[in-house]
Amino acid sequence: MARATDDVTAVDTDVAVVGSGGAGLMCVLHAMTADPGLDVTILSKGAVGRSGCTRMVQGGFNAVLDPADSLELHLRDTLEGGKYLNDQELAHTLVTDAPRVVNELETRVGCFFDRAPDGRIHQKAFAGQQFDRTVHRGDLTGIEIMGRLRDQMFRLGPRELEDVRALDLVRDADGELAGVTALDIRTGRALLARARVVVVATGGAATMYRIAAPAREKTGDGVAMCWRAGIPLRDMEMLQFHPTGLLAGESRLTGAVLEEGLRGAGAYLTNAAGERYMARYDAARMERSTRDVVSRAGYTEIMAGRGTPNGAVLIDISRLGAAEVERRFPGMVERTRQVGQDLARGPVEVSPTAHFHMGGVVIDRDCRTELPGLLVAGEDAGGTHGANRLGGNGVAESTVYGARAGDIAAAIAADRPLRTPDAEQVATSVAAAYAPLTRETGEAPFPVTGELKDAMWVGCGVVRDRAGLEECLQVVDELADRASRVAVAGPREVNFAWQEALDLRNQLTVARNVVESALLRTESRGAHYRADFPDQDDVAWSRYIVLRDGADPVVRDVEHTRVSPEVSA
Amino acid sequence: MMVLDLLLAIQREHDACIGFRFSCRVAMCGTCTLRLDGRSVLACQTPVPQDRDTVRLDPVAGLPVLRDLVVDTAPFWREWAKVTPYLVPHDGLTEPAVVTPDSDERRLIDASLDCIGCAACYSSCAVAAGSRDFVGPAALNRAMVLVADSRDAAAEQRLAVADGAGGVDRCHYVYGCSAVCPKGLDPAAAIRYLRKSRLKS
Repeated sequence: MARATDDVTAVDTDVAVVGSGGAGLMCVLHAMTADPGLDVTILSKGAVGRSGCTRMVQGGFNAVLDPADSLELHLRDTLEGGKYLNDQELAHTLVTDAPRVVNELETRVGCFFDRAPDGRIHQKAFAGQQFDRTVHRGDLTGIEIMGRLRDQMFRLGPRELEDVRALDLVRDADGELAGVTALDIRTGRALLARARVVVVATGGAATMYRIAAPAREKTGDGVAMCWRAGIPLRDMEMLQFHPTGLLAGESRLTGAVLEEGLRGAGAYLTNAAGERYMARYDAARMERSTRDVVSRAGYTEIMAGRGTPNGAVLIDISRLGAAEVERRFPGMVERTRQVGQDLARGPVEVSPTAHFHMGGVVIDRDCRTELPGLLVAGEDAGGTHGANRLGGNGVAESTVYGARAGDIAAAIAADRPLRTPDAEQVATSVAAAYAPLTRETGEAPFPVTGELKDAMWVGCGVVRDRAGLEECLQVVDELADRASRVAVAGPREVNFAWQEALDLRNQLTVARNVVESALLRTESRGAHYRADFPDQDDVAWSRYIVLRDGADPVVRDVEHTRVSPEVSA
Repeated sequence: MMVLDLLLAIQREHDACIGFRFSCRVAMCGTCTLRLDGRSVLACQTPVPQDRDTVRLDPVAGLPVLRDLVVDTAPFWREWAKVTPYLVPHDGLTEPAVVTPDSDERRLIDASLDCIGCAACYSSCAVAAGSRDFVGPAALNRAMVLVADSRDAAAEQRLAVADGAGGVDRCHYVYGCSAVCPKGLDPAAAIRYLRKSRLKS
């Protein structure tokens, strides 16, 4: 049942920014600073500046500020962490721009990061890095960054479409990008934003796992939207599990991250027998090994029956003394006390938790995609982190690439005309969104979402193999079929069951790509571990996988444009 | 079980289209604010009382209800915007300022950062939530953070707002704001600071 496009409210804008986390708001800031006359529109599924994951950043922001540190070292750490699967130009851009962005956050945006006793910015130790380069504000850095960025919006005054979810990229009759369809969650009405430039910055999709860290909104909307528009994706198998997620039974708190800095500060990880098991996985780096290694170690301990009865391993930093732990990690201490444990005074039960998607849309260093006028920034994009992201490189990516997207969006918007979206595409997009609400009968979306999370956790999680992945793929396809028939009751205004149905569709789209890509990579590298191919195979697999709707997968050689790895096989 | 878990269970098992907001579920986004038995709290951080069979949930006070527990926070942010809530950097600020962590400035500011804009203080303030002609505790807390910041050049215009009709004199010192802040901030102390700054200037 296609609705007439007459029912769709139209907004014309120069730049439409989808998402209002770190990447989205940095993009707005830069676009409107580059050209104050620019008409910029934010489409945000949740509250502007208060949804998504930049908000939730605990540890901090990696940037080279100390003369004893170097960009070369930060790049090398990033590539070592990423197991040389990274697009090295993207990684190089990240480390090169990061110091400038920290400076901008401090001197223009208004952030104030923690200082060392001499009054200069303090940088702390994070795992997988040879230099203490993580800038932070206590252990809740995201509040400072997003709070200040959100406040910049009051200065700049972009058009804020809050509680408005983007649906699909739409093109004109010539196939050129013309804008984006959307749904106003408050009114239930469809919207069409015609735009000279569309910037996609919605974040990843790790919520598709049973134990997961991100905010509710993170359902892969941007990646799914780009997929449906025929844009290529890369490294989709690379989904990071953070090693220390909180376990809180059935509570939604389960999966919330206990920050990386704990391990940097000397926390021990032990199994139920009290053994510091990291000695058997990475004796040199122990708890300060990279996230992929530490997650796999914890998962292996738990699966081998060496975890606690709740299926957890233990993190213990209490040897620093309760007062010191409370001083340095107040947010983390409070978080554990809420679930009846106490990080300051003893071990806390943790499990690996799905955290961050390294894979995403193929972009260049200016966030351009293969579709002119479409830019992608932040977690929706792939390539910067390769096979594993370092703690502290996430918010760096969001803000560095958000800023670049804003600069380039302003430049493109100056020349690119508004185009007329193909009416049929708009109608199809809107009809698909309304379908769950207009169906008379059908199951609710919630059980389907629950089954997807279970299937992904079991079949495409920390440790994978062919049989499990093939079964998972089959389940995902069955769930996609069920999801195409879900029905939700109630009004169209402020109906979150309806929104869940639309989230589910995107989660399934991303999930299918993750599983398919995981099946193709017959080796283990970074976050992707195949029990049936446990070794890294640099001869066959110094390559990345590109997926595109309606086309066969393509495998391309990684170009080591900056640093060559030492071949290990 | 937190109040948020209760709402999610109701959504899954009883009323799929019940209206409530949440995002991060770890007290960082400030979007799940509601009133539990009259007290303004974050749903994600507040255990369900175990000593009785029913609890009363209401939306945040003083903001228009869109549906069930979902409110339009625009009036709260309109007040917030009045205090020039962003840093107006001094001309010379081109490098991160050198400020020692034990300085008076940072002692004052650091204890008042980490506002998540949840509006619990606004909701619990009879003046802000009632008559709507008070910029409210959260906005004044933000004003104080910036007024005290040596990097900032707009203290005068913020103090003018604090001194104006909707400013600090509307505060009746009931301390509801400081009592409910889920981040442990003390907006009432910020209001006292602004009052003193005004007297000095």
